[in-house]
Amino acid sequence: MDRNYHVFSDGRIERTDDTVRVVTDDGEKKYVPIENAEALFLHGQIDFNTRLVSFLNKQGVAMHVFGWEDYYAGSIMPKRGQTSGRTVVSQVRAYDDTDHRRQLAAAIVSGSIHNMRTNAVYYDGRGRNLETEITDLEAATERVADDLPVDELMGIEATARKAYYRTFNEILPDEFRLSRREYNPPPNEINSLISFGNSLVYANCVSAIRATALDPTISYLHEPGERRYSLSLDLADLFKPVLADRVLFRLVNRGQLTRDDFETELGSCLLNERGRQTYSKAFEETLERTVDHPQLNRNVSYQYLLRLEAYKLKKHLLTGEPYEPFKRWW
Amino acid sequence: MTDVDPVIRLLETARGNPVDEPFRVTGVMMQYYHVCERELWFESRNLEIDRENPTVVRGTRVDDTAYGEKRRNLHMGMISLDLLEDGRVVEVKPSSRLTEPARMQLSYYLWYLERVAGIEKDGVLAHPRERKREPVELTDERRATVEAAVRGIHETVTRETPPPAEEKPFCDSCAYHDFCWC
Repeated sequence: MDRNYHVFSDGRIERTDDTVRVVTDDGEKKYVPIENAEALFLHGQIDFNTRLVSFLNKQGVAMHVFGWEDYYAGSIMPKRGQTSGRTVVSQVRAYDDTDHRRQLAAAIVSGSIHNMRTNAVYYDGRGRNLETEITDLEAATERVADDLPVDELMGIEATARKAYYRTFNEILPDEFRLSRREYNPPPNEINSLISFGNSLVYANCVSAIRATALDPTISYLHEPGERRYSLSLDLADLFKPVLADRVLFRLVNRGQLTRDDFETELGSCLLNERGRQTYSKAFEETLERTVDHPQLNRNVSYQYLLRLEAYKLKKHLLTGEPYEPFKRWW
Repeated sequence: MTDVDPVIRLLETARGNPVDEPFRVTGVMMQYYHVCERELWFESRNLEIDRENPTVVRGTRVDDTAYGEKRRNLHMGMISLDLLEDGRVVEVKPSSRLTEPARMQLSYYLWYLERVAGIEKDGVLAHPRERKREPVELTDERRATVEAAVRGIHETVTRETPPPAEEKPFCDSCAYHDFCWC
């Protein structure tokens, strides 16, 4: 699996001969090893032209753009592998069939609660007292059923997530509190970190989905097209605890991220450039971690798990073979 | 749907007047049928294969580089084959590991040429990396095997669901491996 490259500085990104380089505003030139790039993430104010877009298309590399406050701004995707009428038809059919949609939504909710619970259990085992929250998460799991209306499933997920976010205050040092989840803009450090992490998970899910010709706007738990690429929201829910939250806990608990890595303005608190760099680096390292995959009989990276999730969904839709949501097994 | 023999379906499709729906069999489908029917089913649904898969990359490279100018490509309806200068149909494979499926692919080309275009040709299966070549002739026995396979392919691809996954010695190198087993 190829790597993501993040650009934090302001400047220009351009094609030069058969590679891509970043020229920062202070004149520094950095080359991107485009041959083994999965996607570029642009976080700064960066100029580019159509020549670059054509080149990225040819190389099959995606480019995700991040704005300042509303982190994810959009993607420029390579056209290869993006269309398959049959796949879209099967996606829509499953959406239109109430029972089928509920079943998929329930699978996503149960996977997502499972992965939240895994984090709670891990930190409970490391001296935090999270029994209440674990009980709440288990109670939520028991309420999930294939035949519940989607808004009820959403409600169960929201309840579970509330219990899960309570664990943050136990897991993290006292000066970092998460009184409640807020965004647009995030009011404090932890909300800001959750938002940034989730947007990275989300963008990586966009890449994974586009590699499979699934239509990113047709989703099951979230309402299709309700916000951005809603299928990405569905898949991201499964992976946020495994990717974003674990990076957040690690960096804050080890003091690798401190208050100095944030910029606080009236009513908003955002990671500054150094903070985003620290976070992205740890996030990419996590994506590159590998785990033994029982069905594939080999080690796969966390990043590849996203791709496999898209494969699983597509296979389910095209073949009718059961869809088992990603549940952390290690 | 009327119960028309798939061989007739295929020939009528090739002649431009399909019965009910077109029924096409490509050389690759004939090969997949003998390698793995699940792979054939995926292929029939236009599931894109992983082009970065090492086996696919190797096969494409061997095919692109072997016999350079000495062969030319011929598209004929649902098949696309290569002819050598001496007029024989050639099928290039990187290794002799799955020889029977390759023989069937080649036999299908010969059968198709005979039945659709009325041209009789001989074939040669080439493994340039192993410096091996093997003549393939369309015997009556092979004609019968090709036709039986056409019927089998029709049955597989018209199924609503693919045959279940089955562990085979070459699964590891298949371009659908992860999709199949995840």
